[in-house]
Amino acid sequence: MAEAGDEGNPVSEPLDLVRLLLDEVVCVKLRGDRELKGRLHAYDSHCNLVLGEVEETIYVADEEDDDDEIKASRHPLLHSTVSRKSEMLFVRGDSVVLISPQSRAY
Amino acid sequence: MENGTPTQGEGKDPAGFLSEIIGNPVTVKLNSGVVYKGELQSVDGYMNIALEKTDEYVNGVKRRNYGDAFVRGNNVMYISADS
Amino acid sequence: MSSFGFDSTRHNPAATGFSQAHNPFAGLSNRDDDGDALEFEDTYDGLGDQLDETDDVFNNDTFGDTSGLTSAPVGKDFDFFGQTAKVANAIEEEHVRFQRQQPASKVVQPAAQTFARIPTEAPVSRYAPQPVAYKPARTGYEKYSQEPVAELQVDAALWGVAPKKQPTPAAAPAPAPAPAQASSSTPAPPGRKMMSLEEVEAQMRAQSKKPAQQATPSPAPQPQIQPQIPHDNGYQFAQPAQPQAAGPADHLRPKEQSFHPGHGHPVTILQRPQSKHTPPAQPLVQQPVTQPALHQRLPQQPSGPAQPVQPTQILQNPNRLSGDAAKFGLHSHPTPPIPGNFPAHPSHRQQGSFSRQPLANHSAQLSQLTEEEKMAYMDQEAKRAKRNHKIFLMSRDNGIMTPQDKNFVTRIQLQQLVSATGNPNEHGTDESLAEDFYYQVHNQIQGGQRQHPSQPLSNFAQTYLYQTGSRQGGLRRHNRGPENHMQRMEQQVQRAVEAAKNKPKNKQLVIEGSLGKISFSNAKTPKPLLNIKRHDSSSEAHRPSSSHRNAHAFHGTDKKGELRSIETIYSTLMKMEDHDRLMPPPPSGDADTEAVQRFVAWSNDAQALNKKLWKALRVHDHPGPDNIHPFIALLSYAKGKKAMQRIFRHSTQEQRTTILTLIVVNLDNLDVVRNAQVTTGEMQLNSAMREKVELFSVAVMSTLFTFMNELDLDLVAGVLGLVCTRNVGLIARSKIGVSMLTMILSRAEIIKHGGGGSEQSWRAWDATYSQFFDLIEPSLPHIFPGTVHSGEDVYVWQLLAAIGIGAGPDQQQRLVLAVKDRVMDTVSLSKTLPQDLASQRLQNVNLFMRSIGLDVELLQ
Repeated sequence: MAEAGDEGNPVSEPLDLVRLLLDEVVCVKLRGDRELKGRLHAYDSHCNLVLGEVEETIYVADEEDDDDEIKASRHPLLHSTVSRKSEMLFVRGDSVVLISPQSRAY
Repeated sequence: MENGTPTQGEGKDPAGFLSEIIGNPVTVKLNSGVVYKGELQSVDGYMNIALEKTDEYVNGVKRRNYGDAFVRGNNVMYISADS
Repeated sequence: MSSFGFDSTRHNPAATGFSQAHNPFAGLSNRDDDGDALEFEDTYDGLGDQLDETDDVFNNDTFGDTSGLTSAPVGKDFDFFGQTAKVANAIEEEHVRFQRQQPASKVVQPAAQTFARIPTEAPVSRYAPQPVAYKPARTGYEKYSQEPVAELQVDAALWGVAPKKQPTPAAAPAPAPAPAQASSSTPAPPGRKMMSLEEVEAQMRAQSKKPAQQATPSPAPQPQIQPQIPHDNGYQFAQPAQPQAAGPADHLRPKEQSFHPGHGHPVTILQRPQSKHTPPAQPLVQQPVTQPALHQRLPQQPSGPAQPVQPTQILQNPNRLSGDAAKFGLHSHPTPPIPGNFPAHPSHRQQGSFSRQPLANHSAQLSQLTEEEKMAYMDQEAKRAKRNHKIFLMSRDNGIMTPQDKNFVTRIQLQQLVSATGNPNEHGTDESLAEDFYYQVHNQIQGGQRQHPSQPLSNFAQTYLYQTGSRQGGLRRHNRGPENHMQRMEQQVQRAVEAAKNKPKNKQLVIEGSLGKISFSNAKTPKPLLNIKRHDSSSEAHRPSSSHRNAHAFHGTDKKGELRSIETIYSTLMKMEDHDRLMPPPPSGDADTEAVQRFVAWSNDAQALNKKLWKALRVHDHPGPDNIHPFIALLSYAKGKKAMQRIFRHSTQEQRTTILTLIVVNLDNLDVVRNAQVTTGEMQLNSAMREKVELFSVAVMSTLFTFMNELDLDLVAGVLGLVCTRNVGLIARSKIGVSMLTMILSRAEIIKHGGGGSEQSWRAWDATYSQFFDLIEPSLPHIFPGTVHSGEDVYVWQLLAAIGIGAGPDQQQRLVLAVKDRVMDTVSLSKTLPQDLASQRLQNVNLFMRSIGLDVELLQ
């Protein structure tokens, strides 16, 4: 935790990174081509998360595209997506794939 | 650390190897096939990974990048040191 | 009784169903003899007519009231078969095989009186025809016809077993065929496979004696052994004879000899309950082969009605069946041959085959049937045949493993399971070894105590079974080998379950090897798979990345460092708050030393925490020339701003002053100032920045405001002086900056109202104020946010009011000139606005106007 690494690496273990993102807007990738963007209110070691002001995006892949190149060249955002918003979400950790600070200028 | 004592020579076992490559550019492949390339900030016993300056590749094509990225360990297929 | 014997039924219709399994086996071993030989027609020799019912009396004993059997098909009431059959099939089969194989020797099988009739039939039908290679043309359903035989065999086996589990088991297991025969009436066995009641009794007696005779510690061994034996026997016929058997051999041998035919082998066959009747014969084949004599016996046995009695018993305990059957079966199995079949079959059939059995059983019966009935019967037969054939095809692998084989494997697996689960209670005790296959075998090879001399060392499986069987057996059932088996398995399962229950209490099983740690986990409760070194700062220095990282930090743009600081601040704050709750009562003047010490200790802790907090705030850090002060950077985070109030609560006055000073000195570096410059156009700040500004006002400004209200004039003047060293114009063009200025000026004015401040201080203040006024004057026209219409300029009017109050006449005039346009615009706008809005706007302007002794009213 932060205390342990006051003078050293601020991220001495991966979950420290998540800790640093507390109260920040984060982007969470979930299994099943889902993404959440919201303010991280809480987390635990299982990556259970509590997010506020969440926007959920579900990427719906076009099944017709069997061609890898086409798929690859296509930006994910170009796929049809479904979005919805929630005021507050609890995310069960086992579906979490990736957590990152929302891309923005720090 | 029960594993990989300093004298054991890092890189001799997985834990040692991972310790060794912290701070270096790495490639992390997930079970889903998605690949992340970035600087390894840290790894823990669950294979949770913190990456820095991360690029995400899907089907070999760069999709986006993250300043920092935390990857939950259960999704990790492998971690390989670049360079 | 009629049902029993006669019928030719060797191929009971009913049997067919079950027999299916037989086919496979038959094909293997018996085929030649029996399989082909046994065609329904061929086999059917009208035995039914020849039935000797002399001993039918016993039927009642065996089956209850079956007096009407002939006329009335066997009731379902007695279905020893069902259960027995399951186990017995194998046995029967084997018996059959034996018998068939050994037709020559046993054909005789006069069998006991009871059986007498059976023998006649059975022997005749089977032995004669079959053994001889009497192979009628194959109908394709020979197997079915045989089936009955199998059944018969089964029955016989059962009987043999049934008579007395104890005696037989003991004896049976041990291949004590000869003894049995010799000792008891059994002698028949040699000649016959079928056993008459007498024979059976004799065997039982012999067996019962044997146990006693046996030097083996536990009488139980027999039973225990039995189950095991079956396998063993099956596999090792010779064993009994083997020297090993020395002690036990006695028992075993006798039995073996007599029973050999029936040997445990049959048991093996037992595996498939379904095919029980029929299959037995075929499966047996293997064994039969070994013991040709047996076959012969088998046929005879069937005849032995006496056997039927036993069967019932057997039926009762399926478990035993396997074991007993093996033993007895061996002896009696021979019976199975046709004659026996009937009796047994009926029962079996009832269970398995339904109503047909009765019908099928006796050709005689058939003849009695009406045309319709016949038709129906034939129909059934046809169906059955089909079905049997199907089953046959599907049952090729049936009987590959005997029940004992399976038990054996199961037990080893169970044992491994138990040890894998690592029942902590068992560690170090022999108990954990008791069931261990390898240990037992090793122990025997090493010449350990041999409880059962008769054990065949050469056969590990058998040795194991003997060994494990003997130890436990001591206390329990001496007689029932099979039961023993079952119980032991139950025990093992129980142990495994218990171990599993205990497991959570045990330390997680972790295997550490060169590949790191291997541990059990699941998706829900992942366990760390690796122990990764944690990089403390010291080791960090050695890493290639460290230099890079440090450089990063020096740039002051180390966001993670800042975030880490914030987290440290929060965790420290929480500790401090927690610590506060633990504050001991401050020691009064004469407090005891202990109380004082406690308070001192507490204070020290509080100080340590305060130092930690202060350190985390990084107030004294010195940023590079181009970088923002780290503390100011912390304020750019929402959580940094939110922490301000709590930070102040846990800071000393000096620290607060320092923080205020720091903030003021860096006013134009605050993101909410620098990045929130007002414009005169319609463009507004983005929502994120507005949120920041709002949060800063609420969280930081209010804190500072509260704090500033405690400052004296000198400090206020000092603060204003600091502002003057910054880019006042920039500060003034932000809401936060304006608020800050208003706050400072207001504080001075409040002090003035309160009569505070020395004259010297006021002179200093005036000087500073003048400097400030000069600095801000040029910016005044441009500090209004948005246009007149946006109506967000209240805070600006507040600042102007604060400035105006402290301004001299000259300065007031300059003020008016600077903002005159905005005043006039607002006044004129208010005329177009609804009453409420208009008065609101004018009121805002009046904040300023009245501070300089004017009023908007004058302008209208």
